[in-house]
Amino acid sequence: MAFRSSITIVASPRPRVGKTLLARLVTGFHLHEGRLVAAFDLNAGEGTLLQFLPEQTTSASVRDTSGQMALFDHLVAHEDTTKIIDLGHESFEPFFSIAHKIGFVEEACRRAIAVAILFIITPDQTSVEAYRRLRDRFARTTLAPVHNEILGPAQYRDRYPLTIGGAGIVHMPALAPGLRRYIDRPPFSFADPNLGEVSGMSVDAHSELQRWLRRIFLEFRELDLRILLADLRSAIQFGSGT
Amino acid sequence: MTRPAVILVGADKGGVGKTTVARTLIDYFGAHQTPTRAFDTETPRGTLKRFHPDLTEVVDVTSVSDQMKIFDTLGSADARVTVIDVRAGLLSSTLQALTDIGFLESAKKGQITFAVFHILGSSIASLQEIAETARVVGEANYFLVKNFINNTTFFEWDPATYNSYFKKIKGAEEITIPKLNEMAYEQVELASVPFVSFIGNKGAKGESANNSFVLRGYVRHWLGNVWGEFDRVKLVDLISPKIESNIRQVAG
Repeated sequence: MAFRSSITIVASPRPRVGKTLLARLVTGFHLHEGRLVAAFDLNAGEGTLLQFLPEQTTSASVRDTSGQMALFDHLVAHEDTTKIIDLGHESFEPFFSIAHKIGFVEEACRRAIAVAILFIITPDQTSVEAYRRLRDRFARTTLAPVHNEILGPAQYRDRYPLTIGGAGIVHMPALAPGLRRYIDRPPFSFADPNLGEVSGMSVDAHSELQRWLRRIFLEFRELDLRILLADLRSAIQFGSGT
Repeated sequence: MTRPAVILVGADKGGVGKTTVARTLIDYFGAHQTPTRAFDTETPRGTLKRFHPDLTEVVDVTSVSDQMKIFDTLGSADARVTVIDVRAGLLSSTLQALTDIGFLESAKKGQITFAVFHILGSSIASLQEIAETARVVGEANYFLVKNFINNTTFFEWDPATYNSYFKKIKGAEEITIPKLNEMAYEQVELASVPFVSFIGNKGAKGESANNSFVLRGYVRHWLGNVWGEFDRVKLVDLISPKIESNIRQVAG
């Protein structure tokens, strides 16, 4: 992600598994690293990415052709911008069906844009099957299973086989009880260095939050390297490297 | 020597997508490096010529001089395949003219490969056309094309009725042209370029264009499915066989 343009898609076919929190964290990470970020919100309702990061986020939809053009044409545009998609569960299937049909990943690769899918794993068969289909359909992406620890132990992780040459499981540690109320209120941003003060957080709470964030950002840095490696492998395998 | 091939694309009804199918055929043969020429019978101004100006000539297929232009040059033209986009309402009369000039007889003898792409409309009248056309085409390779490109509720025929017509033509094969996203179709129309140029983001003169990646993706996916149908009926194999006889003699 750090080495050339990238698109990160945060996805799960299930609601309420932490997709928007993960998208906020990924966006915060890239902003923290000093990158230009454009985020796309394919969610409806409250607590959306757009509400937390209005400056970086555009509301998007794949329901009609105009919406698809606005989204996908922007995604593959030649820009030195890191792009993040918060894919609501209702948009999961239409988004990936269209992406597959129009050859989105192939076009991105052709334009030297790395595509990564962060898939929040859950024990249900719908998610297991959706993950398997993504592996089959999008062999040229980095498909990274994400374990949101707040959902409990990942005893089902063996149902999510890792992609060849791709990323291992990304761990999203559970946030200490009591801190959630600070981060769940817009305009909290993980990229804002003064946010602890702005939110009226205690010093201890702020420190705990910083520790939590460091762990997650470390996971993202490792993921960056894995994506680079997968990207290089893909470029060699498919002869499309730049 | 390679046997020349003539593909007639027509229907006795307007607005069923003849020219669209002719365009996919020209693109298909282009992709297979098969030299192709086309005749557009929508005189004086043809739609097909708008999309493939370098390959297409506008003719009046009912005039003897233009019939000579098409059929007397089969053996001498560089193109191996001749695609004729027959104007609405002229399919039956064109086939009759081909019978009269002995062209269909040459096809029957195997001196020319002849195929008819009969584009079907949504009404029962289209089915009756099949019976009428079947009487004339004889040994031609006959393809009944269900064109769904711009209408999802196109075919509401009774399958038994359809099959009764379909079976009247010996060896007829069915081809389905799937629906193409409306906006993508409109944009290709506006661009007035071959489908492959649109997909490759090229303008009419090969210059870079600024077509939507999404729309190009839709067209690529759709054209892939159309070509999949052509592959299924082994269209390339059909136009490839060799013959021993002198084609100039046939054309003359």
